[in-house]
Amino acid sequence: MRISLTGALLAGAAASLFGLTSLAAETVKVGLIAEITGPNAEAGTYTLNGARLAVEDINKKGGILGKQVELVIEDNQSTNPGTVLAFSKLGGNKDIPAIIGPIRSTQTQAASPSIAKLGIPTMIGGSDPSLTKVNNRWLFRCRPSDLYSSRVIADFGVNKLKLKKWVIVHSTDAFGAGGAKALSEALKEYGVEPVLMQGYTNNSQDFTPVVLAIKKSGADVIGSYMTNSQDVGIFAKQLRQLGVTTPWIGSASIVTDTAMKLAGASLDGTYGVADFNPDANDQAKAFSKAYRAAYKLEPDVYSSWAYDAMNVIATALNAAKSDHAEDIRKAVVGIKGWKGVEGTYNFDDNGDGLRGYNIVKNDAGKVKFVEHIDFYK
Amino acid sequence: MDALANNFQVLFQGLALGSIYALVALGFVLIIRATNVVNFAQGDFAMLGAYLMVAFLTAAGYPYWLAFALALLAMGVFGLVFNYGVYYPLRHRGFLPVIISTLGASIFLQNSVLALFGAQPRRLDNVIQGGVQIGSVFLDSQYLVILAVTMVMVAFQYFFFEHTLIGKKLQATSQDKDMARLLGIPVALMIAITFIYSSMLGGLAGVLVGPVLFVSIGMGSIIALKAFAATIIGGFGDVKGAIVGGLFIGVVESFAAYYISVPYKDAYAFLMLFLVLVFRPQGFFGERVSEKA
Repeated sequence: MRISLTGALLAGAAASLFGLTSLAAETVKVGLIAEITGPNAEAGTYTLNGARLAVEDINKKGGILGKQVELVIEDNQSTNPGTVLAFSKLGGNKDIPAIIGPIRSTQTQAASPSIAKLGIPTMIGGSDPSLTKVNNRWLFRCRPSDLYSSRVIADFGVNKLKLKKWVIVHSTDAFGAGGAKALSEALKEYGVEPVLMQGYTNNSQDFTPVVLAIKKSGADVIGSYMTNSQDVGIFAKQLRQLGVTTPWIGSASIVTDTAMKLAGASLDGTYGVADFNPDANDQAKAFSKAYRAAYKLEPDVYSSWAYDAMNVIATALNAAKSDHAEDIRKAVVGIKGWKGVEGTYNFDDNGDGLRGYNIVKNDAGKVKFVEHIDFYK
Repeated sequence: MDALANNFQVLFQGLALGSIYALVALGFVLIIRATNVVNFAQGDFAMLGAYLMVAFLTAAGYPYWLAFALALLAMGVFGLVFNYGVYYPLRHRGFLPVIISTLGASIFLQNSVLALFGAQPRRLDNVIQGGVQIGSVFLDSQYLVILAVTMVMVAFQYFFFEHTLIGKKLQATSQDKDMARLLGIPVALMIAITFIYSSMLGGLAGVLVGPVLFVSIGMGSIIALKAFAATIIGGFGDVKGAIVGGLFIGVVESFAAYYISVPYKDAYAFLMLFLVLVFRPQGFFGERVSEKA
């Protein structure tokens, strides 16, 4: 036992000396941190589905540098400490050249210092704009940030719907507060000052006070940054029950499968920004077809972002022909004009890949693609 | 006029959610009285009840009342299993091992339901569709049902404990187990009945609140936290206190959210708890500890 352990250590040392750590292994291992248990386990299932579908595709096309890809999955229990723990577990595995991190902004924030210390290229889905501006070179965002979702919401509401009296409803977590701030700033560019900024905590049981405040404000349009689909469901129901019918443009959670199933007719006619829509482009159409066939479920943003993130990692590793963090970073930043299911990726030095969103409409329970608004120049 | 309507709306929502806290708190209190321990799985009883309802109503397609009866029956059986699996083996081991055992049961329940039903929250329809519109006030039919059922349960509980032999035996058991045993009351059976009843009560709360909050793994924990605060505010181990405490928390947080600030809504329940602990540590109806000695 002791001899074989020493042998393994020596082999490992030799391998890392020659920079062959993971590529010397039989498969390429990619870390995946997902919300497998805890309150967001539902999203975690979708994330796993998306990542697994990407791995199947990549392996069918010959894998990464001729090797098959394997996911190493860590549960973060839907919590911040769980995310930090999951990163230190994956970071301790020298066979893992890159990680697909969390989609939640708070979790990304919590783990950001450990990621910087570990120096492992990590794909993130958190859309809080500040995440890629904290001097952490290893975060790459495979979703557009709220800087763009808010600009798209403002642009669509003010220019297309011609509505000027805004109320912003937002969750008080990092995602919601960041999004609400970005939206009010985006609105200022159009000379619009929101009449009400209304926060609430996640898992609220009763939105009556929020609805009454909206009624009192006399707003003619609602912009929302809500984190949980379940909250969207309860809010939508109570909003309609208390007779508020103003147009509503929400962040991604408003068009999740869960929100629409729970809220039913209460969400009819609402608009949402969606980084992912099955009809937005050819890549999205192909991905959706494969996803439905594999899981008998409608794909959503939790699966599409993981699918893109896995493909970005594969593209970068294939281009870098190396598993060194610096080489991978250079390769990711070099990705320009790459077409994913969420749009065309043009990574900048901060690690932001996307700059546009789709506007979609809930048409009697069906999500209809309205238009893609992109701010990439 | 508009302000009056809004206040009424806020009061209504507060009373309805408070009723749910009260039902879960009642389950807490009955178990505290019978066994001197806090059952940390009480909130998950509500979650389990709601999922059983989903299973019988949506998945199996039974009519509402049959599904309702089956869900409550299953909760009763579950209460018995809980008694023998979680409490009974540890009954002579003092209070901490039992509390940890209920915590373990809570984790086990949440993850079992996750494995069985998946993570996506489920929808339950209202017992009666729609609601009552009075001017600008809307009374959701499900909230009305919740209020009505809670009142019936409170009345039933009073009758059951004060006017039936078995109710009196249960009371005797909770007051003094040794004395009850000397009088020939089967204490273990009485405790088992308490668990069955509390489990059904929790399940009932879950079935009632399912259409309003939707059915999710975490639904029980949110309710249980407030219900636990309600038991302490009302007076630890006091039945009247659980009901008044639950309604009190529901109404206070509803009004405070409306008049002060929505994001701090969850804090008001615990602020009330803090104030009660400082100024009336025994709760609204609790006996002073010194009087017990």
